[in-house]
Amino acid sequence: MQSLLRYKDIIFYRILAGMKSEARKNYLGYLWFVLEPLLSTALLYFSMSHITGQRGMDTALSILFGMIAWQWFEGSIMLSASSILSKFHIYQQVPLPKYLFPLVDIGTNTVRFAVAFSLVLIASISIGPGPSLALVWLPLLLMLQLLLIAGLALVISMSVTLLQDIKIVLQSVFRLLFFASGIFFTAERVPAHLLPYFHANPIAALIESYRAVILHQHAPDLGLLGQASLTSLAILALGAFIQNYFDKRLLKLTNA
Amino acid sequence: MPEPLIHLENTGIYYRSGRAKGPQGVITPWALRGLNMQIMRGEKLGIVGRNGCGKSTLLRLLAGIIMPDEGVIRYTRGNLHVQLLALGVGFESHLSGAENAVLSGLFMGKTRRHMESRLAEIQEFSELGDAFHRPVNTYSSGMNARLGFSIAIQTDPDVFLIDEILGVGDRGFLVKSQQILRDKFKDDTTVVLISHDARIISEVCSRAVWMEKGRVLAEGLPRDVCTAYEDSMLAKK
Repeated sequence: MQSLLRYKDIIFYRILAGMKSEARKNYLGYLWFVLEPLLSTALLYFSMSHITGQRGMDTALSILFGMIAWQWFEGSIMLSASSILSKFHIYQQVPLPKYLFPLVDIGTNTVRFAVAFSLVLIASISIGPGPSLALVWLPLLLMLQLLLIAGLALVISMSVTLLQDIKIVLQSVFRLLFFASGIFFTAERVPAHLLPYFHANPIAALIESYRAVILHQHAPDLGLLGQASLTSLAILALGAFIQNYFDKRLLKLTNA
Repeated sequence: MPEPLIHLENTGIYYRSGRAKGPQGVITPWALRGLNMQIMRGEKLGIVGRNGCGKSTLLRLLAGIIMPDEGVIRYTRGNLHVQLLALGVGFESHLSGAENAVLSGLFMGKTRRHMESRLAEIQEFSELGDAFHRPVNTYSSGMNARLGFSIAIQTDPDVFLIDEILGVGDRGFLVKSQQILRDKFKDDTTVVLISHDARIISEVCSRAVWMEKGRVLAEGLPRDVCTAYEDSMLAKK
């Protein structure tokens, strides 16, 4: 924790530098982050409305928020999975903590998400349900998702560096998770005996909570949220342990 | 009485071999073993040895990048800044030379303020002129190396770890960069120089260590150690 404070400057300026260099690379960069969930939402809405018969603005918005939360999650994890590997030459020369670049990549992706999410949020509240007091839950939900992302990234970035095959497995796991996280369907469609398993997935719980708070204007299910918090904290603790254990061992174990 | 900055006590390090080399758990020989060494404030320590004698491992250990598998390494001050002379660490190709100088300095443990106060010196030493404020992906490889060297030399660590005195750039800059490295040996910076060239070590160092297969073979005045090292090199031929 102390070292995190020491390195916050690096993390901050690297995120800033990343944004700058991205802006110089392609001007459509930020726009894409809004367009991408819109496109995939349109696609999912089109196919799902034909299968389930559910139509209308509610369904579309429901998919949209599932999609955008998912993309923040998946994008950050996929990006940070190879963070340590791609900066290995730096770690070979300077004694930086290995968690540095995974966190930088999460930060950069989170700024992109924040831009897109704010736009989508404002637009959908004004055309959809309108603002409500339930929105005060939103910062907590976002914070919780950020913790989950950070924890998983710490575990995955180090594991992938030690055993690169994990990255291939990861893609399959995320494809599975995409279908199991309730992005294009709601919890009511999950069979009752499968519901506990469905809710054990913190990203599914988060998506359900976002919908409750933004679209249905009521507080999220606290039991569900508590469970998701515990899972996220456990993953974060595991990540901190793994990073700490391998930090000064990594270069003796692999040449990447 | 010189004050020690770093203690190595019976330090050993081994690398686990890749899985291609055998079943897991099989270990390659120790890269360093039973190393006892002290690095004193202000001294210029030269380490001489052949390829694979553990020099690079020792540098990584001193820089705090890896930890020992046995024995201990102790720094007498908690915030001791030990740094490897490294060129162009983590350059971001779309950012300017100046922006990269600050970023690179942050990596090497310096503050943003320190690096910003040195920007003029870096620009001047690197001879980049106006190009200093252009993105580094417009640089030639020579310009890149000049920038990297100029940044590294401005980071002022407490202990400077140098792997061979290599100049960079064209003829003119080569002489200049080698000169400023040699100047580092004249002021009160603590320097650890690693080289397989005994001549340069006896020229610039105040103490020398001869390493072979991860152990210290001889230690003392650079002249004596280097003579012994060179004699053994000749005897092998």
